[in-house]
Amino acid sequence: MPSLLILVPLLEIIFFNLFFGIQMTRIALWSAAALFVFQILAVLMHNYFFYNPGLDRINSFFTVHLGADRLALIMLFCIAAVCLVSLIIGRYTLTDKKQRFNFINVLIIAFIGMNGIAMTKDMFSLYVFLEITAISSFILIAFRRGRASLEGAFKYTVLSSVATIMMLTSIALLLFTSGDTSFPGLQSALANSKHNYVVIFSIAIFICGLFIKGGLMPFHGWLPDAYSSAPPAVSVLLAGIVTKVCGVYTLIRLVTGVFGFSPGLNALLLFVGLVSIITAALAALGQTDFKRMLAYSSISQVGYIILALGSGTGLGVIAAVFHLFNHSMFKSLLFVNSAAVGLQAGTTEMDDLGGLSSRMPVTSVTSIIGFLSASGIPPLSGFWSKLLIIIALWSAGQHFYALAAALASILTLAYLLIMQRKVFFGKLAPGLESVKEAGLGFSLVSIALALVTIMAGLFFPAVFVSVFEPVKQILLP
Amino acid sequence: MEKILLLFILAPLSAGVLCLLMRRLAGLREVTALFAGLVNLLLAVLFLNSRAVYSLPLLGQAGEFSLRLYNFSSFMILAAAVFGFLVILYSSVFMRGRDYLNQFYAYILITLAFINAALLADNLLLMLFFWEGLLLTLFGLIAIGGRNAFKAATKALIIAGASDFCLMLGIIMTGHLAGTLTISRISLPLSGLAGVAFILLVIGAISKAGSMPFHSWIPDAAENAPLPFMAILPASLEKLLGIYFLARISLDMFKLAAGSWASSLLMIVGSVTILFAVMMALVQKDFKRLLSYHAVSQVGYMILGIGTLVPAGIVGGLFHLINNALYKSCLFLSAGSVEKQAGSTDLESLGGLRLKMPITFICFTIAALSISGVPPFNGFFSKELIYGGALERGWIFYLAAVGGSFLTAASFLKLGHAAFLGRLNEKNKAVKEAPLRMLAPMLVVAATCVIFGLLNFIPLRYLIQPVIGQERLGGHDFSGLHVNVFLFAVTIAVLIAALLDHLYGVRKTGSGLRAVDHIHYAPLLGWIYDKAQRGYFDPYNIGMGLVRIFAHAAWCFDRTIDWMYDVFAVKLAFAFSYGIRKAHNGNYSLYVIWAITGAAMVVVFLLKSV
Repeated sequence: MPSLLILVPLLEIIFFNLFFGIQMTRIALWSAAALFVFQILAVLMHNYFFYNPGLDRINSFFTVHLGADRLALIMLFCIAAVCLVSLIIGRYTLTDKKQRFNFINVLIIAFIGMNGIAMTKDMFSLYVFLEITAISSFILIAFRRGRASLEGAFKYTVLSSVATIMMLTSIALLLFTSGDTSFPGLQSALANSKHNYVVIFSIAIFICGLFIKGGLMPFHGWLPDAYSSAPPAVSVLLAGIVTKVCGVYTLIRLVTGVFGFSPGLNALLLFVGLVSIITAALAALGQTDFKRMLAYSSISQVGYIILALGSGTGLGVIAAVFHLFNHSMFKSLLFVNSAAVGLQAGTTEMDDLGGLSSRMPVTSVTSIIGFLSASGIPPLSGFWSKLLIIIALWSAGQHFYALAAALASILTLAYLLIMQRKVFFGKLAPGLESVKEAGLGFSLVSIALALVTIMAGLFFPAVFVSVFEPVKQILLP
Repeated sequence: MEKILLLFILAPLSAGVLCLLMRRLAGLREVTALFAGLVNLLLAVLFLNSRAVYSLPLLGQAGEFSLRLYNFSSFMILAAAVFGFLVILYSSVFMRGRDYLNQFYAYILITLAFINAALLADNLLLMLFFWEGLLLTLFGLIAIGGRNAFKAATKALIIAGASDFCLMLGIIMTGHLAGTLTISRISLPLSGLAGVAFILLVIGAISKAGSMPFHSWIPDAAENAPLPFMAILPASLEKLLGIYFLARISLDMFKLAAGSWASSLLMIVGSVTILFAVMMALVQKDFKRLLSYHAVSQVGYMILGIGTLVPAGIVGGLFHLINNALYKSCLFLSAGSVEKQAGSTDLESLGGLRLKMPITFICFTIAALSISGVPPFNGFFSKELIYGGALERGWIFYLAAVGGSFLTAASFLKLGHAAFLGRLNEKNKAVKEAPLRMLAPMLVVAATCVIFGLLNFIPLRYLIQPVIGQERLGGHDFSGLHVNVFLFAVTIAVLIAALLDHLYGVRKTGSGLRAVDHIHYAPLLGWIYDKAQRGYFDPYNIGMGLVRIFAHAAWCFDRTIDWMYDVFAVKLAFAFSYGIRKAHNGNYSLYVIWAITGAAMVVVFLLKSV
């Protein structure tokens, strides 16, 4: 089954382009949507779809070893959900038929890359999938070919190549020392050579590569430009899932499954996490552009995830994964809303906006839910994941970081309140009298994401026990 | 049978609520109030000196609703019922045509109900409930006196509330130490924490009685509140309750010895109250305000008497409680007559009223002689007993008590002279005697003053001595007309001195009102008086000043915190934000440098950490 999630989209792209081309835009759109929905369903009914022994024959064609555990399942769900959202937004924002067709194709390629990242069990194939995702992201960011878009894509390319160099070097060194690139093989080899300087060096640069991918401070330089200059559908995709899968998920996977926790690594993760949280939140406070503020907010939230991981405990990993899930939900929601505002009002500059709550009630209310969840207000799901993070830090003895994480929530609330007030509350800004809701698709997406946020919060105990607690099983014994 | 005790509370209470509802029915309201007062009085007479216990477990042991009627409480209830009825009768004329009459009668009746309940309560918590309930009616009664009255009412509420808080603390501590809140079962030795509890309870009790330093609302209230209120609450009912409770705590609940520090403390409080309050009374130029200071001063005698803890003193203190309630209400009622008929209580505008209001004058004179301790009126006998008790404990207390008597006599000579003797003021040519319904209560009370003096065995033998019990009395019987010759001689000498002083003052200034000017404007005394009149020594003002200073400090603190949050934190955050924004100049090479520097630091850190 895991291999099908790679194979089917690949075949789909070949099928579209080889035989039909642009004429098939409509069919491509629906089949891509069906693909994403299928993956969501597959994850929800994973007992039936995964671990099906009858598919072993197909799996055996791959030399790349793929497998889906509980953590991967959560990621597969998020990937499919955010891709679906991005597809719907793309359907509304990309009017040109050719552009739309190309967008669908590149989106599916990125989708393949992310699925591969989520499921791979091999260091080198991980690198390959990372590159697939990265290159499709470059194209997506530069999609509109404007000056800003090209600049954003260029910065991403440059910093991404730095990351590539680091990771490739690291893989080479690891292969050199352990003779294997599969996760279990590497893990046992690394466990035997904990004090080998070459090993530590290679781990360090690999982690730095992932920091760049994840956009943590001070490796984040590309992120605000890329997010804010990309087309709306791509912003949702990048912020909601791409950087999370490429940077954060990979980091969680490798730290828990390959590198293993060590006091030094924990201290590093905690420090980088806290620096990202606070610096990015302060930077967000001063932004005047809706999307740029959300971009900095993303850095800050990723900081929380890394901070949770840095606690080095099972609860910390669960909290990190839960926050990752929440973040991809509420941040997608906020980006969708920013896309709606940008589309209808023609600008995302917050000083030119205002009073949109009367014009776009659905967008306004759902973004209230999104920002409350991001700030950790009960009973929304963001509250629970932040609470778990703080509890995990406190019980791991990291009292200072726990306190700082709790206090930094104030900053989160501060900048998101500024956003909400400038965009949606207050007097209607001149020139916006004729603004309407962006359309049924936008509204449905916003409402669906808001509902996920509310439901995951209200039914937290059930969600936690059935979905997130089993994540513990990925931890090294 | 026992349930009839509830009637003491429910009868006045329900009548009070009924009166509150009767806003328009002027006649019926008074009739209801009078009827309720009469029922209460009859009940009190019927149950005098009988014993009954009614108990209803409410909140487990601590919140037991238990009432206990025995000779002491029945006697106090009778006294309260008598004054209550007389004041209602008097008010039915005096208050006619005023605003908020439904509230007035309701508060008076509810006060009666609460006083009865507090006197009957055998559970400290229950007593506290009704005791605090009195604050409401106290506030209400002062507040309906008009615009200025509201301030006085607030002052009364704050002072009473603060001292009741002490009472509450004391009750908690007592309950904790004794393991029970049932008054009749508490018997604590006076040591350590129990001493603190005792002091807290005493504060509550003497504050209710209107002693110094919790007195300062009384003169303020006297000027503004409806006059019958003064006659009923500060002059009689509150003193009944306060002194009753003081007697209970010092005689029953705590084991006090005659030589203990607690006894001395009570005596000091009593002596100080006598002297300072009467000094203030001496120089007042308003009928009601002058009387109100005496209402404070006389409490001192009671506290002094009970504080001696010798039989003569205790009997004298309780006897004085009854006597004071009698003559003080008579004095307030005569002040009310003068106010109603002459339209003013300012002594400057009064004078020569003896011809216009002869019966009021006679009642006033009897009461004034009583309060000054002239034989053979009731005040004389109770004061003699207190003198005897005080002299047993120390001549200094005796001296304070006698000095108080001298000033009391002097101030009443001045008051009587200024109000009723001398030349008739031009404005008061048409003044007539007060109507019968106002005179009747005064006459009854004045007559009782004479009877309780000449036939003092009636109150002493039947009411007061049984309360204290033969055991504590040690076989003494203080009734009768026999007196200690030394004490008698000193008393007479003091009274003659007061008269001579008055005559000297009148000759010097040519006016009854200014007969005490040589004391008022004596060197140093004049300065102190000046400050006192302006309220410099008022504990309330001092307390309020402290509160204001504290409030200002708290305000500054609060502003600082606010500034930290609202201005400083925000400015700091935006300064950082500005710096970070400036650092992101969009130059990708800079970003690459950051990333590579960061990576180098990570590598170094991880290598070092191994």
